[in-house]
Amino acid sequence: MDTRDPALNLRSSASRSWRREDVLALAPAAVLLAALFLGALAGAVKVSLVPLGGGIGDASLASWRQLFADPSFRDGLVLTLEVTIASTAIAAALGVALALALRRSAGAVRAVAAAPVPVPHLLVAVIAVVWLGPGGLADRILGSLPFDLIGNRNGAGIVAVYVYKEAPFIALLVLAAMGRSLEQREEAAAVFGAGGLKRAAWVLWPTIRGPVVVGSIIVAAFAIGALEVPLAVGPNYPPTLAVYAFQTTQGDLISGEGRAAAALLLAGFLAIVLASVGVRHARSADNE
Amino acid sequence: MSERRTRLLVGVLAALFIAPLMVLLVQAFADSWRAPGVLPDQLGWRGFEVAFGSARAGDALVNSLLVAFAATAISLVLGWPAARVLGMRRLPRNGFVFLLIGLPLLMPPYLAGFGLTEWFIRLGIDDSLAGIVLAHVTFALPYAILILLSGFNREVEALEEMAATTGAGPARRLAWVTLPALRPTLIAAALLSFLVSWSQYGTSLAVGAGRPTLPIVMLPFIQTDPEVAAALALVFLAPCIVALAFVARLQRTPL
Repeated sequence: MDTRDPALNLRSSASRSWRREDVLALAPAAVLLAALFLGALAGAVKVSLVPLGGGIGDASLASWRQLFADPSFRDGLVLTLEVTIASTAIAAALGVALALALRRSAGAVRAVAAAPVPVPHLLVAVIAVVWLGPGGLADRILGSLPFDLIGNRNGAGIVAVYVYKEAPFIALLVLAAMGRSLEQREEAAAVFGAGGLKRAAWVLWPTIRGPVVVGSIIVAAFAIGALEVPLAVGPNYPPTLAVYAFQTTQGDLISGEGRAAAALLLAGFLAIVLASVGVRHARSADNE
Repeated sequence: MSERRTRLLVGVLAALFIAPLMVLLVQAFADSWRAPGVLPDQLGWRGFEVAFGSARAGDALVNSLLVAFAATAISLVLGWPAARVLGMRRLPRNGFVFLLIGLPLLMPPYLAGFGLTEWFIRLGIDDSLAGIVLAHVTFALPYAILILLSGFNREVEALEEMAATTGAGPARRLAWVTLPALRPTLIAAALLSFLVSWSQYGTSLAVGAGRPTLPIVMLPFIQTDPEVAAALALVFLAPCIVALAFVARLQRTPL
């Protein structure tokens, strides 16, 4: 083996420390991501503190105070949390159920089940309106729907779109984690007398917990901050946090930008807190 | 699983997941569809005429394609060496790198666009395709790295070492060993990066300042004119069909 070639000198235990080549290979992606992520955060923080046309000396918490005093923001925060929790919980539960139903299925069946995964959220919103909107196909076939999903004040339409999109996504993650070895371990547990519930708690859940948590974090982060789905199928009032930010920039050109930035930063903060809680929960469960 | 049960499962899943997509096709050509009719009264091209006429879907399509291809190319070029190091070297204390890759995925896209616009104005790239591409890379690059990471495993490492022992240099190893071994992973990373960029709404809206991309042009029609929205949705769906075909092919030919 050509040990002088750094690209190949990968497996030697002596090489398990950071080398110049490693840093150089990682640097372009890492620097760009850091610049974009931190730049976006810094830009939003600046807009939320410095009034339009002002300098850094004019920085104040005025936009944040206005935000927390705005009743439509408070209603929007509640709706955002409700939609996020409902979408994530239902998508995770259905995703696991779908994965269990498909675990012994052929590849073609799994491919059909994976159909919504690459479909953009906005496209699913169009489908929801065509099917479930006023005068939509469901209305025509059934006479009328018992309640309106599209524009529903509690965000039922938004939840429906997220669940349709994300349940198959979580199912795919769970199926990948199950692999073939799960069945053998379940059989071994059954040989030792473990019943269905015990097998689910001791063998199945520890296997799928990781992908369920990761998938749920991704779903929750998206649901907290997405703009297009609530704009397309959400209620006029209350707005989700992202819609609140969008409407604020449209309605108030002077102080709207600051409030919008503050609302979006809060949405980002919520997503990161939820992700941290999820990861910590998964780790503590792993250590038990 | 019995063949009968498999067919039943495929039928139920197809009804749940594929039939709704089919309705878009009907809606896109339904020039007249009065309630309570279950089928359209008149079929035609009005949806596409409005979409590609006054709605500027042609410009939006070109912009979306250019941005998505550029964001994909940047993500793959930068993501490949990063994923190789992270996947094969298994370096100590690399948690902060994974944190850096994961954090952008938690950021609301509209927040990313909103915050970046502040700097893009100073750099003179706001309201430009270059600005939109950079903003999309915030989300496409982490996905590209995470997917490519799964390809750089011990098997590829072993194959590269075998090629090296036969005297193959870095370029030949890349062309004959690494690229063929990582082909499905590379295609999956490219498709996902493309789709992530293709479906961005919030970032494009904030950075592009009205420059049309397909999602931006489509959204206003969802509530006001479902036929135009469905016509645009069919155009929007095309890359997803390619992705689905790829997934179906992967299922038939295990890696």
